[in-house]
Amino acid sequence: MRHHLGRAALSAFAVALSAAAAQADVKIGVIYDYTGAFAGGGSKAAAIGTKNAIDMINEKGGVEGHKIIPTYADAQSKTDVAINEAERLLNDTKVDLLMGVFSSAHCVPMAAKVDAAKKFMWANVCVASAVFKDKNLQYVFRPQVHSDQFGEASCKFVAENAKSKLGKEIKDVKVAIIHEDGPYGAGVAMGNEATCKELGLQIVHKEGYAATSTDLSSLVTKLRRAQADVILHTGYNPDITLFLRQSKEAGLKWAALIGHGAGYGQIDKLIETFKDDVNYVYNVDPVAAQLLDPKSLKPGLGEITAEMVKRYKAETGGQEVPPHVSMGFNQAWIFLTDVLPRAIKKHGGFDPEALKKAALETDIPEGGTIQGYGVKFFPPGHKMAGQNERSSPVVMQYVNGETKVAWPASIKTIDAVLPLPKGHAYAR
Amino acid sequence: MDCHLDIFFLEAVLNGLLLAGLLALLALGLNLVFGVIDVVWICYAELVMVGMYGIHYAHKGGAPFLLAALLGILLVALAGALLHVLVIRPVLDSAPINQLLVTGGVLFFLQAAATMAFGIEFRNIGIRLGSVNLMDMSFAWSRLLTFAVALGGMLALWLFLTRTYMGTAIRAIAQDRQIMPLMGVDQRKVYLVTSAIGGGLAGLAAALMVLQYDIYPQIGLQFGPLIFMICVLGGLGNMIGGFVAAFIIAQFIAVGGSCFATEWGYAIAFLFFMVAIFIRPQGLFAAKS
Repeated sequence: MRHHLGRAALSAFAVALSAAAAQADVKIGVIYDYTGAFAGGGSKAAAIGTKNAIDMINEKGGVEGHKIIPTYADAQSKTDVAINEAERLLNDTKVDLLMGVFSSAHCVPMAAKVDAAKKFMWANVCVASAVFKDKNLQYVFRPQVHSDQFGEASCKFVAENAKSKLGKEIKDVKVAIIHEDGPYGAGVAMGNEATCKELGLQIVHKEGYAATSTDLSSLVTKLRRAQADVILHTGYNPDITLFLRQSKEAGLKWAALIGHGAGYGQIDKLIETFKDDVNYVYNVDPVAAQLLDPKSLKPGLGEITAEMVKRYKAETGGQEVPPHVSMGFNQAWIFLTDVLPRAIKKHGGFDPEALKKAALETDIPEGGTIQGYGVKFFPPGHKMAGQNERSSPVVMQYVNGETKVAWPASIKTIDAVLPLPKGHAYAR
Repeated sequence: MDCHLDIFFLEAVLNGLLLAGLLALLALGLNLVFGVIDVVWICYAELVMVGMYGIHYAHKGGAPFLLAALLGILLVALAGALLHVLVIRPVLDSAPINQLLVTGGVLFFLQAAATMAFGIEFRNIGIRLGSVNLMDMSFAWSRLLTFAVALGGMLALWLFLTRTYMGTAIRAIAQDRQIMPLMGVDQRKVYLVTSAIGGGLAGLAAALMVLQYDIYPQIGLQFGPLIFMICVLGGLGNMIGGFVAAFIIAQFIAVGGSCFATEWGYAIAFLFFMVAIFIRPQGLFAAKS
């Protein structure tokens, strides 16, 4: 009798254990820069977006019955810290996957390291094409736009508006490309150079600089000499504010200044510092979800965007919701509502192999995410394996404190103000 | 290489001169402290950051800029004195590496404390002084002001050191730390006053920097390495040497950046520094020890 009781108890224990295993939590290591220069440049906003996505999923009971347990780690705007945190999360905290990452400088080495260890990484914000280009990564995926596309978007926008707005043939439009010299800035600038050349725009100056430069006056002087119509700028902070300040003091003028994400995505901060001087500045970025017409998206996504905006405003007290919030939120939402459920249901769990298979099966059409673009990843063997082939950025323009979409024409909400109107601080 | 000897090149040279003013002012306080107390304040640029925040919040709180700047200078002077009493004095007789490490600890403490206290946002005092046009060149008033104040600060410090009793005592201690206390010079008081003046100079630099730069907890990292390079190049503790070194380095940055890429300006400046230190390890203007 005692023997039978013992066996029954053991069986019950085994069943309980397997039930517990079936309902195991999904542990996600979320890495962003919560302190340091990148934090105020958009990383914190993206981190809030990701956190809110995870919270909203958990409030609905998790994914397929599994609760999401995030561990948030601060990369402190330092690549070595980011790598150490990634290793700590994977090896000590034993997370199932890594998510987040704002800076491309962190992303490039981290992605290679995680992939080599056959662990899974889902990149939310970093954009450098170099993360994937010719690396054939197997376990790293990024639904986010990549830097080559940033570079293409601004040049196409300029070329399409050359005749009608600037009154010049494309070949006569002078473009200057300036950028911080990390993987992010260099990547976007490379895209700028390739596309502008291809379209026939005249590149009169191209130069990189350290984002921590104490003085950009010699760069500004060279731009004055080059007399570019359009300046294509990729930077973080504080280099963007230093550039704008020294440009104004030195009397540098332009027809259009087009930024590419990061510091240019933080319009409320720019307005606080420069007031009307940043009116009509452009920013190339994945679109801030709240700017899209919900009718153009899959039913239900409009409500999710509204909730994202509501939570961000409640948490920060800010009125302007930068695109980084959408990037942090959207990529996390795609993973939690598309990839992870499929990995659990179809591939038996959420180990790196299951997640990889599920990610490669992702097939979200255009209009299927809150930022409008679809998701399908380039397969292994492709030169951009792991990168979303359906992502696309937009060109936005800041007009009187509001963000408008100026390009592409299919979703634009404003006829671009180009060139700068007379009387503007940087107008010719 | 893209060096045109035109008006823009002249503008780059003059901009280098103006940048030198700020760098010279930043190097002045650090050199004073090292020259007298023989301790390197690795956290010097972080004291500047504290001053910038102080001025920002005083101005935001309603104080006119000049008053806010004065309060900022006093705040950092006090911080300099506190740094000496609480951190430096206990390790004065320790090995130099310990002194270096302890001020390094203060550097990280101040950065972390500023992040916790003021957040990660880039702040700005919102004052624009405009610029002045000369021929086809343009110069910011804020940089011209910095240049003038740097020269004025140097002169005022020189007058203080040569025309006052305390200044004479400071110079005496700087010449011989062992003998002068035996001759009645109050070493503790001299060190304290020197630290307060060093801090005050950091505060003065902060007052000028808020007109040119955003304020954030890591701004010290932007300037710290450059300030130390200038001080070492001029000869640690040699105030005139530091002043001249600031002009040399600033010209490398400005003209190098103008003829090549901006990054090359910094690279050439650091290359020059390395070569100079190989040839004269004690710095360009220090006597051989």
